[in-house]
Amino acid sequence: MTKNKIKALIILLLTAGPVLAVAGGKAAPGTIDGFTAVDMPYDAGASVLLKWPVGPSDSADASYVVYGSSLAEGGWRKGEEFVATAKTCKDINLPFWAWDSGEAQHALKVELNTLFGDIPPGTPLKFKAQLLRKGSVEAESPAVDAASKSNWFRLDRLNNLLFLLVMIVIFFWAVSHAKRKGLFIRRIAGLDAIDEAIGRATEMGKPIFYVPGIGTMSSISTIASAFILGEVSKKVAQYDSDIKIPHYDPIVMTVCKEIVKQSYLEAGRPDSYREDMNFFVSADQFSYAASVDGMISREKPAACFFMGYFMAESLLLAEVGAASGAIQIAGTDIESQLPFFFTACDYTLIGEELYAAGAYLSKEPMLVSALKVQDFGKLVVMASVSLGIVLVSLGTKLHWDFFVRVILNLFKAY
Amino acid sequence: MSETWMIAGGWMAAGLTIFLFSFLYRDNPFFKAAEHLYLGAGMGWWFQVYLFNIWKPKVWEPLLSGDFFVLIPAVLGLSLVTQFIPRISWISRYGFTFMMGYGAGLAIPATLSTDFMSQIAGAIQPFTALATMTPMMIFNSLVVAGGTICVLFYFFFSVEHKGAVKKISNIGIYFLMIYFGAAFGNTVMARFSLLYGRFDDLYTFSGANYFYASQILLIALVAYFILHSFLGGKKTEEEEPAH
Repeated sequence: MTKNKIKALIILLLTAGPVLAVAGGKAAPGTIDGFTAVDMPYDAGASVLLKWPVGPSDSADASYVVYGSSLAEGGWRKGEEFVATAKTCKDINLPFWAWDSGEAQHALKVELNTLFGDIPPGTPLKFKAQLLRKGSVEAESPAVDAASKSNWFRLDRLNNLLFLLVMIVIFFWAVSHAKRKGLFIRRIAGLDAIDEAIGRATEMGKPIFYVPGIGTMSSISTIASAFILGEVSKKVAQYDSDIKIPHYDPIVMTVCKEIVKQSYLEAGRPDSYREDMNFFVSADQFSYAASVDGMISREKPAACFFMGYFMAESLLLAEVGAASGAIQIAGTDIESQLPFFFTACDYTLIGEELYAAGAYLSKEPMLVSALKVQDFGKLVVMASVSLGIVLVSLGTKLHWDFFVRVILNLFKAY
Repeated sequence: MSETWMIAGGWMAAGLTIFLFSFLYRDNPFFKAAEHLYLGAGMGWWFQVYLFNIWKPKVWEPLLSGDFFVLIPAVLGLSLVTQFIPRISWISRYGFTFMMGYGAGLAIPATLSTDFMSQIAGAIQPFTALATMTPMMIFNSLVVAGGTICVLFYFFFSVEHKGAVKKISNIGIYFLMIYFGAAFGNTVMARFSLLYGRFDDLYTFSGANYFYASQILLIALVAYFILHSFLGGKKTEEEEPAH
């Protein structure tokens, strides 16, 4: 009798429990199927990719919340919360050749440093997602394991690699062509004045100041300046004039010493070369400017060359040179300093003209070829911009979304 | 810091500022003194920066803690110093080669991305929103794209600039000049703020609590110039005209 009563009580509890829970609005949450957490492809191991299928119950009044847990700490950390209709594969910013951007799946990139702080790649982690509607959990995914890893190859930057390879091929073709037949470079205004400036210095018996700026040897403008210095010092050697090259960077000074020595050798005047033509002044920007200003104002050179990387000291130097009456030729690729050289110098090489100057003066096949490759790059930019605008406008007008995406992805920078 | 040191610092700051500004009139011994002090102080400052911010934390301390891998960059860096000893200066080539190699490796992909890809993408991206663009926005985007092309024509060295190419590159020059004008104004404004900073300091040091440092030093410098010109300094200048 007692046994029967207990059985009846158990049956009652088992059947009435869920009924009461539903009545109280606390139904057991459903399951989000197909929830995965994998390493985010093509990154340095700082993020994890969560994916799960878009469900029929995903509507604007519901939202997803993702949680992460590191095995070391335990507990769940709340990650991003978003409307259930948002965040599909389409929203992951990867190009078409590296990513399927369909809208059938939710995809969320979880930045591990944001969620867990500073954790190294490979740390074991767990993730889960919940679907919330009106404040209660409607469905929940099982917790899945994931670990990020550093990837060796960035497939998403394939366009950059291909473009670089094309450039390299063109460079070698241009080198071979330049050696065989030579390549044309248009006349660059300002460079013709170099002879005039050196001639003037020779006539007046005054020195020439060649200021290579405050760049290091890794700066492209400093490298270009070193090439121009080679040609200028060759002419100085031929005219038996005097050149002074104050330096900011000891490594640039070492390179310039070799260049000037070589130029004197090529000009057949090795006896005229002196070690103190290149001298170190200071590695502090304004100390350097103050000191070079002092030298220019005292020695009153016949010509000043300001070629290379310049910052705030550009006007300080050029203004003193102008006040001392020197003929001045400047060149830099720092756009913000060019206006100061325009105002204070007789001739100014703007940006890429500085790079071109070395090639123009020396006619060295390697330099001329590099210039040709740059010109090819400009041609690509001009053609791509013109054609890209037409095609993107057309694609947008005709709602060819994938076509527009392909064009934009082809020129995706990083 | 004691009050005496504060006052001494004020005199030093006011004096050096006025001495450096005196160059606007002409070169003089006070400017030379300030110039050489600045040069020496600059070198001293950078020496301690290299010593305490680079050598100590990045070489000395890792070595003490048993991390001998830092010897590789340290030796490469030291190889540059061999330039001063002609007999073994060839060793420096290893350091230079490494620097040039990693410099190029870092710079080439970044330059390609920013100078090429970003330029193209930036110019065509606005047209993806063509349906929602106002005529003014379309015009603006076309000006940006057209300006980019014209400026690139100016820097195109493979063809002689004559005929249509010359006209396009001339338009490019106008774009450049507009940019340079804006950059000039912007930088001059920034420089003026630095000038105001120096004037503000000179004003601070002109107070009674600094014993009128700015006024006294300024008057002393003016007196020097007057005396110098009366005592033959001007003659010396005239003997050495600029040009």
